[in-house]
Amino acid sequence: MMSPGRLARLVGHNAIRNRRHFALSAFGIVVGIAAFIFFLALSMGVRGWVLELFPIDQVEVIAPRTSLIGSLGMESQADLNDAVAAKIREHDGVRAVVPRMSIAFPALGVWWYQDTKLKFDVVGDGINPTYLADEPQGALFRDYEAEEKGKPAVQCGPAPKLFCPDLNYCDTRNNTCHHRVPMLVSRKLVEIYNTQFAKSRGLPVIGAMEEFIVQRGGLSKMRLHLDLGATMIEATTSTLRGPPRRIEGVLLGISDKAIPIGVTVPIGYVERWNREYLGDEAASTYSSIVVQLDGKDQVGPFASWVEKQLGLRLQDSQGQQFATVIFVVTLFFLLISFCIVTISAINIAHNFFMQVSERRREIGLLRALGASQADIRGVFLGEAALIGLVAGVVGMGAAVATGTAVNLLARQFLPDLPFQPASFFAFEWWILAGGLVFSVLFCLLGGFLPARKAARMAPAQALAQQ
Amino acid sequence: MAIQSPNPVVRLRDVHKAYGSGAGRTPVLRGVSLEVQSGEVVALVGQSGSGKSTLLNIVGGLDDADSGGVEVLGVDYAVARDAALSRLRNERIGFVFQFFNLLDHMDCLANVILPASFARETRGGPRGAIERGRAVLDRVGLTELAHRRPSELSGGQKQRVAIARALFHSPELLLCDEPTGNLDTDTGREVIELFTDINRKDGVTLLIVTHEERVSSTAGRVIRISDGCILDGDGQAEARAEERSA
Repeated sequence: MMSPGRLARLVGHNAIRNRRHFALSAFGIVVGIAAFIFFLALSMGVRGWVLELFPIDQVEVIAPRTSLIGSLGMESQADLNDAVAAKIREHDGVRAVVPRMSIAFPALGVWWYQDTKLKFDVVGDGINPTYLADEPQGALFRDYEAEEKGKPAVQCGPAPKLFCPDLNYCDTRNNTCHHRVPMLVSRKLVEIYNTQFAKSRGLPVIGAMEEFIVQRGGLSKMRLHLDLGATMIEATTSTLRGPPRRIEGVLLGISDKAIPIGVTVPIGYVERWNREYLGDEAASTYSSIVVQLDGKDQVGPFASWVEKQLGLRLQDSQGQQFATVIFVVTLFFLLISFCIVTISAINIAHNFFMQVSERRREIGLLRALGASQADIRGVFLGEAALIGLVAGVVGMGAAVATGTAVNLLARQFLPDLPFQPASFFAFEWWILAGGLVFSVLFCLLGGFLPARKAARMAPAQALAQQ
Repeated sequence: MAIQSPNPVVRLRDVHKAYGSGAGRTPVLRGVSLEVQSGEVVALVGQSGSGKSTLLNIVGGLDDADSGGVEVLGVDYAVARDAALSRLRNERIGFVFQFFNLLDHMDCLANVILPASFARETRGGPRGAIERGRAVLDRVGLTELAHRRPSELSGGQKQRVAIARALFHSPELLLCDEPTGNLDTDTGREVIELFTDINRKDGVTLLIVTHEERVSSTAGRVIRISDGCILDGDGQAEARAEERSA
């Protein structure tokens, strides 16, 4: 058997000599591999992006709907409390448990924006600040009110005129300074604002949140009033235990962990506010419990356990639905790529059969000079592998170039929306390596039968060809 | 008649070969027996289609005999596997063809060292192969044409390159199929002189298929073939072969 170096030299010579044949054979493989890598990278990119928005190893436990209330679109929350959270925390495969608590009473938000006073009934909830520890706003998303407890209050008020420090507000009930309540909103909310609200009212769209905050003049300008216990809907505050009061909040930015529609604040604030306006039960009942599992494989068993053992259920996961759709679409495109590459492999086989026929005399000569059947097989398979390698690399380059072009076009022509990812493609090393292996493998497959035919050719008859 | 030796370079015993099948089956060799001793120059002569080229191919392991025994340089073709036969052709047998069979996409030197591609081991590696290639090109008087393409050479020069290629691994047996069949008289004479020189200086055994008198006249022994049988000195097919075919 020839040494790899000699084989490579001989194959190289043949490749240069048969450039046209090589190019024709490689063309289909280039297209197929480019499509394969392009669609796989696109699917992985989109999948990663979707799962970042809707993680599928993260589920949300909610109370089951009751028939009457459920028909009104509301959910019973009676069963979600610390005892349930503790049980969930002890279950196998559970990595983290994060209870969420809705603001269960009316609140009115007021925000001055572009000389427009925006008033809206606030929907919101609270989460544990540790849940956001790994996010950019994590350091500022704290329960400042709890931290202020026991410390001397800073006085403020109109007379004598005393101002609070930056990011603080004056509570007019007792003329003391308090840190503004940190708030986060979801990308979805900003998206709704951009596509629905801003458009219809002629307001500017919000692109990157960080830029938006800087444009506004920093975090100190990102404040909004929250009138707790107040609402624009009449006669809905009669059962509240406390009088309306005004607090101030500061909008820190966007988080995927924020409530989809509304604002999210540290859970301590919501507990205190719910106790103040509705009593102890409202302050100890969660609207949902977010559960981070060890992996997506845990979702099924966990859902079953939650339903059977706790009488609760999981919120429908959009991530799971998206992932399934992406999987099916990816499968479809991969099937197309597979068909292209298969047809190309058949084309390669056809071309190589022609080559074997045209090069009979050469095959006979090589046999006369001492090439064994294995050597001849190696030469033809080497040529096929070289086509696969070159076509794979070119296909890879074509896929990456097309992906880059698509990203550039998307950046240029799509509006700068918070949902838009930095890249739609994930050109992972294993996708590129897989494409290359796939390419070489299919070319070898296409070259196999012609190589066998060439190896089995009787040297004397091959040499006799005119 | 050559002297019988216990270890001849070529030994054929009752070799039969036919092409085609059924009613279209055409016998090409009919019970050929032959021995060639080391250092001999043997010319195989006969009409076209007499079976001389087939005989040469069988000796070179390029074709299989249907029956009979073939032993070349001590290798019994009946038991040798493809790898062993390939190694024999690569290291101990050289071939020279009527139509030169040079690869036009390679220069002369690359053509000459082509057998090194299939050698189990090459002395001195690629550099050593190139040095030996230059040496054999020098031997045939074509040093200056080492980097020319075969298409740029004359017929005689092409055949000299082909001979250099055949000599690359210093073979013990040189099998030549109509080596002057495609050359003019003068060039043919030069090639014949080269063969004579190779035989005299290197002791290489030559088996030359030819139908040209000027080639056969230089051979130490002439074997005539007709209708697949070796003829004796009187132009009659060997009695044994005739008896067997009867």
